Amino acid sequence: MRSIIAFFRSPLGRVVLLSAYYLVIIAGLVILYGKGNFSATEFVYQGF
Amino acid sequence: MNRLVHLWATAVALLVALAAALAYTLYAQYSENKYVHAVAALDHSEISMGTVMDRTALRQTDLLLIYGASELVLLETKYEATRFFSTYPTGFMVYNAATKGGSSLTVAQRLAALGPDLRGRRVIFAVGPAIMTMAPFGDVAQRHYDANFSALHALELVYSPSISLETKRLAARRMLDFPETMKDDPFLLFSVQQVADDSPLAVILHYLSWPLGHLRLAILHLQDHYATVEYIHHLSAAEVTVKRQVRQVDWQGLMTQAEREQIDHTDSNPYGVDNSQWPKIKELFERTVPPGSKDDDFINDVTIAREWDDLRIALRVINEMGADALIMSSPMNVPLWETIGVSERAQNAYYERLHAVVDPFGVPVLDGSEWGRIPYFSMDLASHASRKGWIYVDQRLDEIYHRVLP
Repeated sequence: MRSIIAFFRSPLGRVVLLSAYYLVIIAGLVILYGKGNFSATEFVYQGF
Repeated sequence: MNRLVHLWATAVALLVALAAALAYTLYAQYSENKYVHAVAALDHSEISMGTVMDRTALRQTDLLLIYGASELVLLETKYEATRFFSTYPTGFMVYNAATKGGSSLTVAQRLAALGPDLRGRRVIFAVGPAIMTMAPFGDVAQRHYDANFSALHALELVYSPSISLETKRLAARRMLDFPETMKDDPFLLFSVQQVADDSPLAVILHYLSWPLGHLRLAILHLQDHYATVEYIHHLSAAEVTVKRQVRQVDWQGLMTQAEREQIDHTDSNPYGVDNSQWPKIKELFERTVPPGSKDDDFINDVTIAREWDDLRIALRVINEMGADALIMSSPMNVPLWETIGVSERAQNAYYERLHAVVDPFGVPVLDGSEWGRIPYFSMDLASHASRKGWIYVDQRLDEIYHRVLP
């Protein structure tokens, strides 16, 4: 356990932890705003 | 190291995210390639504002892509090309990307969005006389343009490396005639405005925005892949099953059968108009009009139609992107137009103008004029193909695919 804590206190451990944190943020943004809409709009075709 | 820890973490996170995006793209492309033939036979309007399925279809040698408007979409019949060719009776199938309310301006953007995949590939651009002869000022209706507009297609055109700045400028100026489509997208509006403007500052701003434009496109492509894979995942086992059955097609027999069916659907009027369309136009036939009395109005409408300028933009896109395109026109419904006072001579103004616009671009055009007097070919004034008309169209598509026609 101590060795794990020591790892995350080391510079490399902090990079790993921060990277995971940033990835969670990126994933959150993708989930919230990532979905596009490529569906044809519903409309009444007036025709001629 | 301590000072750079955030920088390293950012770089690692971005690299992992990029690798995940790349992996997902590869997976999506695998799915799209696997199911493109199934999608061709289905209503794919859920993903029709994207590009990935069109691009995938374009790469298949046994799929023939059609762009255009309602002339080849409106009537739901078993003779409609995607149904008729669904079992690949003569070795190919149609991927129908034509849309209700489609116009040359939206088709120009859709073709531009196909990117380098379009070079050397055969596509059919199905046009018809409806907008040029019936719409006010021969211009696409606002609501039809809005409904067919895609930010992805528009951005692809604006940031395409294959299309000249002059063509982009012509297209962008027309796109700005429909500002509603861009009012919620400031970046798209900015991009289109810069291209539309020919001042040196606007040109500089356009090129400065190039990286941002391509970043936005990369995100849109990822979203497009996601939407397409989601669409595919929701298809049933029956829907994704493609049956191929080569058979001899009896075109003459089918025409007789389709004509009989079409006659059954025109019993509400004496003019051969489909029952579904008759209520929309019956007022035009309430009083007798002297022959040729509307010729001048008709010729004027055809001459000033804005759709011709949009068609020129689409043709410029076709040429600059190196597409092996073919323009296939629906015919004038000659007897029906004669009934409302437009002579055949005046109606020919449509074909004359069509050739005058298309021929200088060197793109082959099949104007469809030989179909104009075939009874029950069109189901209304706007040249929407009837059941019988579809058989002629199917036969023509077959000849185009097998290179019997140019």
